[in-house]
Amino acid sequence: MANTLRLYLTCIRNTLEAAMCLQNFPCQEVERHNKPEVELKTSPELLLNPVLICRNEAEKCLIETSINSIRISMKVKQADELENILAKKFLRFLSMRAEAFQVLRRKPVQGYDISFLITNYHCEDMHKHKLIDFIVQFMEDIDKEISELKLSVNTRGRLVATEFLKQFI
Amino acid sequence: MAAVAVHQFAQSITCHAWSPDQTMVALCPNNNEVHIYKFIKDRWEKLHVLYKHDQIISGIDWSIRSNKIVTVSHDRNSYVWNQEASEWVPTLVILRLNRAALCVQWSPKENKFAVGSGAKTVCVCYYEQENNWWVSKLIRKKHNSSVTGVAWHPNNILLATTSTDGKCRVFSTFIKGVDPRDSGAGSSNELKFGEQIAQLDLSFTWAFGVKWSPSGNTLAYAGHNSMIYFIEDVESSPSAQTVAFRDLPLRDVLFVSERMLIGVGFDYNPMVFAADETGLWSFVKFLDEKKTTQSSSKYGSQFSEAFGKLYGQSKQGASNDTVEPSRPRGGAHENCITCIVPLRKGGETVVKRFSTSGLDGKLVIWELDNYIDLLQ
Repeated sequence: MANTLRLYLTCIRNTLEAAMCLQNFPCQEVERHNKPEVELKTSPELLLNPVLICRNEAEKCLIETSINSIRISMKVKQADELENILAKKFLRFLSMRAEAFQVLRRKPVQGYDISFLITNYHCEDMHKHKLIDFIVQFMEDIDKEISELKLSVNTRGRLVATEFLKQFI
Repeated sequence: MAAVAVHQFAQSITCHAWSPDQTMVALCPNNNEVHIYKFIKDRWEKLHVLYKHDQIISGIDWSIRSNKIVTVSHDRNSYVWNQEASEWVPTLVILRLNRAALCVQWSPKENKFAVGSGAKTVCVCYYEQENNWWVSKLIRKKHNSSVTGVAWHPNNILLATTSTDGKCRVFSTFIKGVDPRDSGAGSSNELKFGEQIAQLDLSFTWAFGVKWSPSGNTLAYAGHNSMIYFIEDVESSPSAQTVAFRDLPLRDVLFVSERMLIGVGFDYNPMVFAADETGLWSFVKFLDEKKTTQSSSKYGSQFSEAFGKLYGQSKQGASNDTVEPSRPRGGAHENCITCIVPLRKGGETVVKRFSTSGLDGKLVIWELDNYIDLLQ
């Protein structure tokens, strides 16, 4: 793995360690409600400054924190058209199954490819370090997954083309 | 100076309180019930379940002299529970809140209690004999955000609060007819109810866990920016000290003596702060010794990896040597510690034992056997 990716992921891991200090906090605006403040953004004092970690123009990660929830949005590297369409389809596939992932947001934040929403309830049920491991592992694997997909699409394309062109020989 | 007893009561505990004789513990297992356990022979047995609230309970306090339990909940209500025969009987408290109640504490004389709330108000409640209920007086329009912590000064009049607007405030809670005129509180007697005595604007972010020292001279509270603030002589001429530490922020603090404080929070490990002869506070050490000798930690990690392979690796995320996965810390607690309560033997000013509970559902009792040991 490239050394810069390791630095990027270490930076994200350390930021998440510090940012994931969540607690149960009932809504200040609506009676008997309890909602992730990072989504509502009704009380500015309950939000912390968002952190943007960029590896380059195409790859970045936005971490928004509030008192009871944290939102992690990421942009995945898309070098060409093919990668673009693969990333779009693959992440859409995951987003549609957001329930199975628990911490995945159904829709990414504007300008990003995929978003996670972690609330205090997730921190109560799951180990914090495992959650962070999951996010970092996900970021690590997504690039691998997309380049693998790209390779197999290319291989298949070549095979199909060869088979098709055989009939003209 | 270590954990003497660890017990897993539930999946997570929001708060707990001890009975006056410290044989029973009341705790909220992160839902709308309060469970009362008693230590009978070598195990904890569930004696009662107090079931009246309909949302998660955010605060419990058990009064030492009158043996009453007060609970507050996110459902905006509060009950005072009184033991009659073997049953716990609730009395409704008219809080007049329209948002969740977040924290509660009995006053030292136990004729009042204070409730902090998400409605940006503090309720000071007292008992009204003729109606047989607890009524509340509100401190309104002083806080700009939710009140996360309340603490009574030993003189039964002053009340300190912390809020998510980052400020710590001190109020007078003198109530006519409840507090005697000459309650020995000096100047604070002349102040009327709800008057703000001090506003401490030290933290840039949320403040939690305010406490007074046993004599009431020093006030301490924690900020979410991994800082802890100590204020001496709040009433007359306040002087503040700020201590920054390198670990994750604190949620709650406890003075074990006039010159020593334990802080608990998101770092899973209680921290000891102490003041030297000149009154300068500093971070001393972690209370829980970390089990990180080289060989044993290696063994432990291999073992846990093998375990991970056994029990559904998909859920834990396969370990990969490219980025070092973070390790559990191996202390008594495995999640955020939210509550620290002293275990005081009658009349002692120095706390030797205390208990902590956290979101990992464990209740840990700690014993400070040797003060000199701690300071080294």
